[in-house]
Amino acid sequence: MSDVFSPKERLIRTLAGEKVERPPVICPGGMMNAALVDVMTQTGHLLPAAHKDAALMSALSADVAQLTGFENIGIPFCMTVEAEALGSEINFGTLECEPKIEREVFPDVLAVDYLPIGAVANAPRTGVLIDAIQTVSKQYEDIPVIGSLTGPVSTAASIVDPMTFLKQLRKNRDDAHRVMAYVTEQLIDYAKILADNGAAVISIADPTATGEILGPKLFTEFALPYLNHLIEEIHAIHVPVIVHICGDVNMIKPQLAQLKSNAISVDAMVNLQKLKQELGGVTVMGNVSTYQLEFGEADAVSKSAERLMSRGIDIIAPACGLSTSTPLANIEALTGTVKEGI
Amino acid sequence: MSREVELYEKLSEAVVEMEEDDVIELANEVVAEGYDAYQAVDKGLAQGMERAGELFEEQEYFVPELIVCADAMYAGLDILKPHIKTDAEGTKYTVVIGVIEGDTHDIGKNLVKIMQETGGFNVIDLGRDVLPSTFVDEAVKNDADVIAISTLMTTTMGGMGEVIDILNERGIRDQFKVIVGGGPISQGFADKIGADGYSTNAAESVRLLRSLLQ
Repeated sequence: MSDVFSPKERLIRTLAGEKVERPPVICPGGMMNAALVDVMTQTGHLLPAAHKDAALMSALSADVAQLTGFENIGIPFCMTVEAEALGSEINFGTLECEPKIEREVFPDVLAVDYLPIGAVANAPRTGVLIDAIQTVSKQYEDIPVIGSLTGPVSTAASIVDPMTFLKQLRKNRDDAHRVMAYVTEQLIDYAKILADNGAAVISIADPTATGEILGPKLFTEFALPYLNHLIEEIHAIHVPVIVHICGDVNMIKPQLAQLKSNAISVDAMVNLQKLKQELGGVTVMGNVSTYQLEFGEADAVSKSAERLMSRGIDIIAPACGLSTSTPLANIEALTGTVKEGI
Repeated sequence: MSREVELYEKLSEAVVEMEEDDVIELANEVVAEGYDAYQAVDKGLAQGMERAGELFEEQEYFVPELIVCADAMYAGLDILKPHIKTDAEGTKYTVVIGVIEGDTHDIGKNLVKIMQETGGFNVIDLGRDVLPSTFVDEAVKNDADVIAISTLMTTTMGGMGEVIDILNERGIRDQFKVIVGGGPISQGFADKIGADGYSTNAAESVRLLRSLLQ
């Protein structure tokens, strides 16, 4: 099947609920990035250096799109930009291992130091992202650049000790809400600066805000309103938003129905076709098992992609964060199959 | 109901209901009135935590609730522990637990630790981002019975198999039971790497340990 739309048109149309000739196949960046070891060793644009160097970051993000076949450029390659800017100590990892929070800066929600809004948007590493996004969005006009954010609950749990934070959602509700509101305002500001500099889509991954961890009641109180506020503010500047929710979403389906994002991305155990029906035809994204992508055969990956397409899944993507040792051949099987169409 | 039994039941209830202040008050009453601190832990605090674990498995409680229950339990334990006669506890099995190298997500591991401690195991927490060799070294050093390895990331699953490889290389595989768990882990994966057991959640891990160590 010959393509009618450019990758950017296709993704934007899909997120707007408009018709396209086939689904886009993407990997948004951030938690779900495709900076595989196989890609980096081919081009020599390496992590962890590319986390902090705009020229390397833009080059690697373009390599990923070209070699994997994913129809987007995803920036950054980690989930630590926000937490670092808000004070947490980061371990930038290795070629194979993604950056992680070495230590959350605050022991509890009462200890949080409230930095002025702009702390994330004006942080040095955000400057690196902005430079990289500007470069690739100008260089590849037809490919959508996706700016990836860490969601509000996950960001809060990256600056406050997560066990204490989760406990304080019950024990110190007001202070926990204050931290959530603070983090959300920082994220709004940050998302806008990524969009202003060329990100065509914003993707939010909030792996700590799952139904399994929080339960429906606390998801409703602490995840949904802040996610929706963030989404609405990004919508106000006319940029579409994808939200990824980890884990089994079975018990938070009513809450997902209220989510204001343009698409919902979920993990491999979720039946996407059923979820789409249950949520009134919402645009769904996913959900090729990352385990299959790492350990499975290319043929099996192709079959998974075909199955998702035949079930009317709107955007084909990995179900969660990819292992950096995922073989490039399996990703090529995924993207190639989607591009052939059905 | 005797006053003693009533106190134990109230302790259990206060843990389930996440009432830390009540737990502290009740634990102090147990001590002041001279009842058996070990029984108060076993029939009160631990039983309450076990019920909290059941509610967690039934998806009535979630992670925040379980942590608050555990806090209440530990508050009671701090008061009662100095009053436990040392021989009352019997022999405890020792578990070394940690999150494998590359992963800093430790909520799940912390829950498993809480439930295993509640279940009467001596749990040594190696923290997160732990090297495979460290699991083995610490297990040997602490004369542990069980090595419990957790991960949330598919990226880091390989490290679990490495722990078992190291045990085999050193010829000490049969000295330890190795159990694994976490988001991407399955029974199939546990079998593949030659682990002794897998459990889907924290409460179940206690039953797994009991069945493996019998």
